[in-house]
Amino acid sequence: MARILLAIFGVTLIILLVMNVQTTTLPTSGTSQEIQRPLAEDKGSLRTLQAKYKALSRQLVQLMPNQPYILVDTARNRLYVKRQDEIVLDAIASTGSGTILDKPGEGNNQWIFDTPRGEFLVQSKITHPTWIKPDWAFVEEGLDVPKNAAERAEPGVLGDYALGFGKGYFIHGTLYTRLLGKNVTHGCIRLNDNDLKGVYKLARVGTPIMIF
Amino acid sequence: MNLCAILLLLTFATPGWGKEPEAFPDLNLSNGQAIKEATRVLEDEVKLAARPQTYILIDLATKIIHIKGRGIDLHRIPIISWASNSPDHLKGIHKLTTRPAVVRRKIEPGAGAEQEPISVADMPVDYVLIFPPTLTITVVPSAAEDNLLRGALFLSKAWWRQTKTWAGTVFSNQSSKQNGQLQLTLSGGHSQSLAWSLVDGMAVVIRRASD
Repeated sequence: MARILLAIFGVTLIILLVMNVQTTTLPTSGTSQEIQRPLAEDKGSLRTLQAKYKALSRQLVQLMPNQPYILVDTARNRLYVKRQDEIVLDAIASTGSGTILDKPGEGNNQWIFDTPRGEFLVQSKITHPTWIKPDWAFVEEGLDVPKNAAERAEPGVLGDYALGFGKGYFIHGTLYTRLLGKNVTHGCIRLNDNDLKGVYKLARVGTPIMIF
Repeated sequence: MNLCAILLLLTFATPGWGKEPEAFPDLNLSNGQAIKEATRVLEDEVKLAARPQTYILIDLATKIIHIKGRGIDLHRIPIISWASNSPDHLKGIHKLTTRPAVVRRKIEPGAGAEQEPISVADMPVDYVLIFPPTLTITVVPSAAEDNLLRGALFLSKAWWRQTKTWAGTVFSNQSSKQNGQLQLTLSGGHSQSLAWSLVDGMAVVIRRASD
């Protein structure tokens, strides 16, 4: 009975939708009318158009990195090092959790733990990095933020290498390898030791990092 | 003889040698209107690719959404179908105001246990993207993959949205041509993937279909 009612409801909605679509200006298929107008063109103008198109295509290719670049897919938690279309390294990563944490004593201010999206550059390459714990790391653990900077240093948790790409974000190692492939970080990009070593070797200061 | 051998070697060893780079490999180079459209899009894309940013190219000709940076294809999302009320409004570089909203989970300080992150599955499947001043893109999931109840819900939402648009047009006595609309139908997973990849202020260019 419930199924029959749902089916009647569905059919009614479809009829209403079709009636409504007919009253709107949206065409129902994947085509548009305006640019189907015939273009009066001779072979000369066609050649000019072709030349312009090819010149712009070349211009676009020239803007592509001619060196290896790092590509990070935050949705699927993958990191690639690519050289043009060739994948040089393919790694499972962990990226930002997207969670939020209230800043104590700052009203509605919050930390948002996203991995930033866009294009960045490798700004620094560090071996045996020490994590200087930021305020949020203490707040998250329910601890007071220390006044003494030395109390923030935590060696041995970021792996053997770290590649900085600005505003405190790094590609680094992790002790929690079982969480690779998940969105669990505070914005940094975590890799296992082998992949981290590979990325460290392939990347230079100035290597582009594309994150989406 | 040696020269011939070298020429032969060059010919066969480098199959792409001398081949022009093509931004749109599907483009029919004998269709002037299609080239004109591709050129218009490329002019905009070159401007976007010159800056350190990611941007979106919605290719209605091939039904693919490209997430790009520096002209490189970072990710592709297939479009099931699309519809537009005014192709003229699709021209140019459009800037997204805000990405689709997502409910973020709050960390409880000192809770200790691992906190549940957000993932692509938390992103909405249908949403509206506003590009001031003149373009609105509506992303809807394909009803075909939903069960009857979800399908009915989706259809009722779509009907309500279109009725609102229609009513707005009638009562404000304005032509709907003043605001361009593009509706993209994607699979549910791809809708969420697109929502995930969008960032506030992201630039979008649209290649219109010419045939």
